[in-house]
Order: sequence, then structure tokens, then C-alpha cells
Amino acid sequence: MLDAFSRAVVSADAKTAPIGGGELAALRNYVAEGNKRLDAVNAITSNASCIVSDAVTGMICENTGLIQAGGNCYPNRRMAACLRDGEIVLRYISYALLAGDASVLDDRCLNGLKETYIALGVPLQSAGRAVAIMKASSTAHINETNTSGTNPVETRFRKMETVKGDCSALVAEAASYFDRVIGALG
Amino acid sequence: MKSVATTVVTAADAAGRFPSQNDLEAVQGNIQRAAARLEAAEKLAEGLDKVTKEAGDACFSKYPYLKQAGEAGENQTKVDKCYRDIAHYLRLINYCLVVGGTGPLDEWGIAGAREVYRTLRLPTAAYVEALTFTRDRACSPRDMSPQALNEFKSYLDYAINALS
Repeated sequence: MLDAFSRAVVSADAKTAPIGGGELAALRNYVAEGNKRLDAVNAITSNASCIVSDAVTGMICENTGLIQAGGNCYPNRRMAACLRDGEIVLRYISYALLAGDASVLDDRCLNGLKETYIALGVPLQSAGRAVAIMKASSTAHINETNTSGTNPVETRFRKMETVKGDCSALVAEAASYFDRVIGALG
Repeated sequence: MKSVATTVVTAADAAGRFPSQNDLEAVQGNIQRAAARLEAAEKLAEGLDKVTKEAGDACFSKYPYLKQAGEAGENQTKVDKCYRDIAHYLRLINYCLVVGGTGPLDEWGIAGAREVYRTLRLPTAAYVEALTFTRDRACSPRDMSPQALNEFKSYLDYAINALS
């Protein structure tokens, strides 16, 4: 497993060169944005169960066949497995975001995931859709652009109350990890 | 590769939990010290060739017998390899400064070094002398800031202890 720093080291070692100016600038940026990154990880982990259950619910709302007899989220046992998998994927994405490198996500989560789902008969398209919804709500939580949605009296949403700033680079990075999962399932 | 972030993630993964506040604090502590580390890495990378030359020269002047026939530096090819090895250790220290942990030195420098040196009949004392000279030669503010120097020297000491 690598993080942003050890990724730089491994690629420098392949050239047997020390790490100097150019590569250090990218790492200095990681350091300078460090607190934002930790806030972003916190935004995901603190809202994890909300993000996961919302994504699985959304996936089922769009395809109600999943919870009818014979569907892949029927009965509760399989619905529970689905929620659990959503949480696992989100957990590895939070690791990748903390480390600033996708290797933990690739090695420990995505490697063989598609083959496993095919063997178990899990519909890849639905799984990908759930991850896409997690991406939308996670990036909204990081950016604090989450809203109450279409229901004006909805009160069950929260803002993280962190100082607002430019998080576009981090949001793009987080989104790339979700896209990585969707790509691995596709 | 062992670093603070990967250690924290490995522990969280073993427990099957999301990164906790403790984990985030640990990474934050690492980030706070990063500026000095990266400065030291940058300065070392800039002066790597000069530092290597000085360290190697110091080593051969302390142990001139190394250049006698049958010793580790009996011809120019072997002498060049000595300088290459010193550059290798300094490069790994550069990596350690970037990662903020001893992972690169452990995995690529120290693991198996003793066995290799014994098989090739190389004296580790010569490497210790070269690295010790580098440690005592480096000074602040000429080479780098005091905090950066502190980080640099702690990895030099780590390599010295591993070889002695």
C-alpha cells in the first residue's frame, strides 16, 4: 500500500534518482492542503451510514424490481449484504482519500471485485449506480453543497460546519476514486 | 511502504472501521512536521553528488588500507562502487525524509545488508565512517534550517546504527 509520499518514492526509485524540486512541489501541496483533506475524510466518515443507506435506497427506488421476490435485494439478508458492501466500498474510498493514493482501494477492494460479483450474480449496473449516488452525496458533503432536496420541510440533513474554502481539487480527487470503482465494475 | 498514513490505514482496515479522529490526528501530526522534512530532502537532493564525494573521501582517508591490493578499494572500479553505495544510502535517506518514516531505508537498504556485506567481505565500518562524517559535517544554517537538519541527522543516525 502506498500514500502520496511513498508513491513519489517508488517512482523515483525506479529511476534511481533522488526526489528534488518538481516532485517535492506536488508533495508540498499535499501538506499545504492537509487540513482540508482531513476535513474531507471526516465529512465522509461522519456521514457514512447516511451516504450508504441513501445510495442503496436510491438504487432501489430507480429499480424496484430489486426488492421484489427474485430481486437481488430480496429478502432482508441480501439487502443487508448490499448495505454492507456499500459501506466497505465507501470505507476503502475514505482510506484512499486519506492516503492521497488509490493503491489501497485497488489492492484491497477492487482487485477481483467484478469477478466476485459476477460469480455471486450481483447486478454490476445496480452496484455501479449505488456507487454513483455515493459519489454525488459524498462530494456534496465535502463541498458542503448538500441540500434538503426536493422536500422543503426535510430536516434530516446536516452541514459539517467547517470553514468554507476552495475544495475543488479534493472533490475532484474524491470523485476520481468513486469513478475508479464504477470503472472497475463496468 | 511504511509511512504514517499507510500505518493508520492498515490498522483501520484490520479493525474494519472508517478512519477515526485518532487516525486523522496522527496524519495531521505527520503533516505538521512535513515542511522541515521536505526542506531537508530538497537540500540533500541538490547536494547529493558533493555530499557523496566528501563522505567517500573521508572514508578512504580514515581507512587508507582499503586501497591496498586485495582490499575493498583495490582498483578504481571498486572505489567507484564504494561512492555509488554511499550515494545509494543518501538517496534512501532522501526517500525517508519524503515519506517521513524509515520504510525506504528498512526495505531497500538495511534488509539483507549485513548478509551481503559479509558475503562480499566488505567492511561496514567504512560505511559508518562515511555516514558519520556526513552527519558531523552537516550544519545549520549553511546547509539547511535547524529543524530540517535535525530530521536529516536522525535518519543518518538510523542508518549508522543499523550498520554498526
